[in-house]
Amino acid sequence: MGIIQLQNIKKSFDENVVLKDINLSVGKSEVVVIMGPSGSGKSTLLRCITFLEEPDKGVIRLGENEVTAGNQPNKQRKATIRELRQNTGFVFQQFNLFPHRTALENVMEGPIVIKKMDRDQAKKKAIALLTKVGLADRMDHYPAQLSGGQQQRVAIARALSMEPMVMLYDEPTSALDPELVREVLLVMKDLAKEGMTMVVVTHEMGFAKDVADRVIFMDDGVIVEEGSSQEIFNNPKEERTKQFLQDVGEE
Amino acid sequence: MDFSIIIESLPPLLKATVITVLLAVVSVVFALILGFFTALARISKIKLLKAVSSVYISIFRGTPLLVQIFVIYYGLPQIDIELNPIPSGVLALSLNAGAYLSESFRAAILAVDKGQMEAAVSMGMTYGQAMRRVILPQSIRIAIPTLSNTYIILIKDTSLVSVITVTELLQMSTLIIAKTFEPLTIYLVAAALYWVVITFFTVVLDRLEKRTSRHVV
Ligand SMILES: Nc1ncnc2c1ncn2[C@@H]1O[C@H](COP(=O)(O)OP(=O)(O)OP(=O)(O)O)[C@@H](O)[C@H]1O
Ligand SMILES: [Mg+2]
Repeated sequence: MGIIQLQNIKKSFDENVVLKDINLSVGKSEVVVIMGPSGSGKSTLLRCITFLEEPDKGVIRLGENEVTAGNQPNKQRKATIRELRQNTGFVFQQFNLFPHRTALENVMEGPIVIKKMDRDQAKKKAIALLTKVGLADRMDHYPAQLSGGQQQRVAIARALSMEPMVMLYDEPTSALDPELVREVLLVMKDLAKEGMTMVVVTHEMGFAKDVADRVIFMDDGVIVEEGSSQEIFNNPKEERTKQFLQDVGEE
Repeated sequence: MDFSIIIESLPPLLKATVITVLLAVVSVVFALILGFFTALARISKIKLLKAVSSVYISIFRGTPLLVQIFVIYYGLPQIDIELNPIPSGVLALSLNAGAYLSESFRAAILAVDKGQMEAAVSMGMTYGQAMRRVILPQSIRIAIPTLSNTYIILIKDTSLVSVITVTELLQMSTLIIAKTFEPLTIYLVAAALYWVVITFFTVVLDRLEKRTSRHVV
């Protein structure tokens, strides 16, 4: 049984059917890369896992926490969703750091506010995490004073501060200048090596080849094809996958 | 111009200026509280809260402040609610400014990038925690310029409560003129005193704005 288990996830925005009956299971320490054309539903799928979008139908389980979509919101359900979110680190394309707090404060925020950790302990932990992502010398900087690559690494440290069971990344390097992509991918790679379970929406083929245990190709709200990066990149079976890889290759 | 008149009328005018400032400060404190909760009500998902707050805002922004003052001071006694001039004035000014401030707060809350709320709740914060720790500190910074503006207007609007016999700066000036027959001199002194008060608060609020926005490029 996977650490993440999605069953029959459906999601529409008005008339627009974005996810059509998605089933997905991610095992502990597995790294899954999701690719697919723009508008195929990759972000929506990732956001459904932590209920940033509420799916219309389906069941989402993450570790111990299982939530059925579309149920009436009640206290118990809300608490379960919050717990599920605490176990999930979400990394956004646009970083979404808190601009009124320093790098250090960004990473201390979750443990202090949500876990009620005392300040000193939270600070120690935040320092360790920022050191780990290579930002020991930038702790007192505000987000606006950091480069995109540095901001994204702070965002990863912030996500890690909650000690999540899984990390979800939605195009974490798409907003970065090309020369800053590497430093972020390196941090992600290290995490994967340590055994972190990760689902990554990205078009970085190199990263997928190096790190992914499984590559999923999505189009038009369905999982078209999945397999090892070898299988998907060198030997795609589906016409849509071939077409997509060709388009990406030509860029 | 007769300078001795200025010297003689200055002490009562200064006293009245203190009343004006107190009216403005007390009213703005109530207005901030009222405006803040009205803004939260307007953006809440609860329909009743939304409706009540919208009606309140619409009424107090859609009618003249002078009419609001008359309704409270002269109108309410008819249904056995009798308030003294100063409480009437404070009530009218607070309700009026509260309606404007709630719109500033609401706009400022909505102006915070929606990725901020997502980042906060995706870590596991409740809506309340995300509001308090992440959204509101940023919206207050965004709101400060319009809050300052409303406050400056509020200071000027305190002159309207002179019509219900509150002896603030304008009313005191009128009383002095009734004795001295020097309207030009006295009203100019009053204008100067308003200018000093408003300029003082403008400078203070500008500083506050600069201080709160220092980390944001
Ligand atoms: N909040 C929303 N409201 C309405 N429609 C939405 C919303 N979010 C996404 N969509 C629509 O859902 C579809 C899938 O969007 P999604 O962002 O999941 O695609 P994606 O695969 O992540 O694309 P990209 O590679 O461009 O990020 C698109 O047609 C998009 O317009
Ligand atoms: Mg996307």
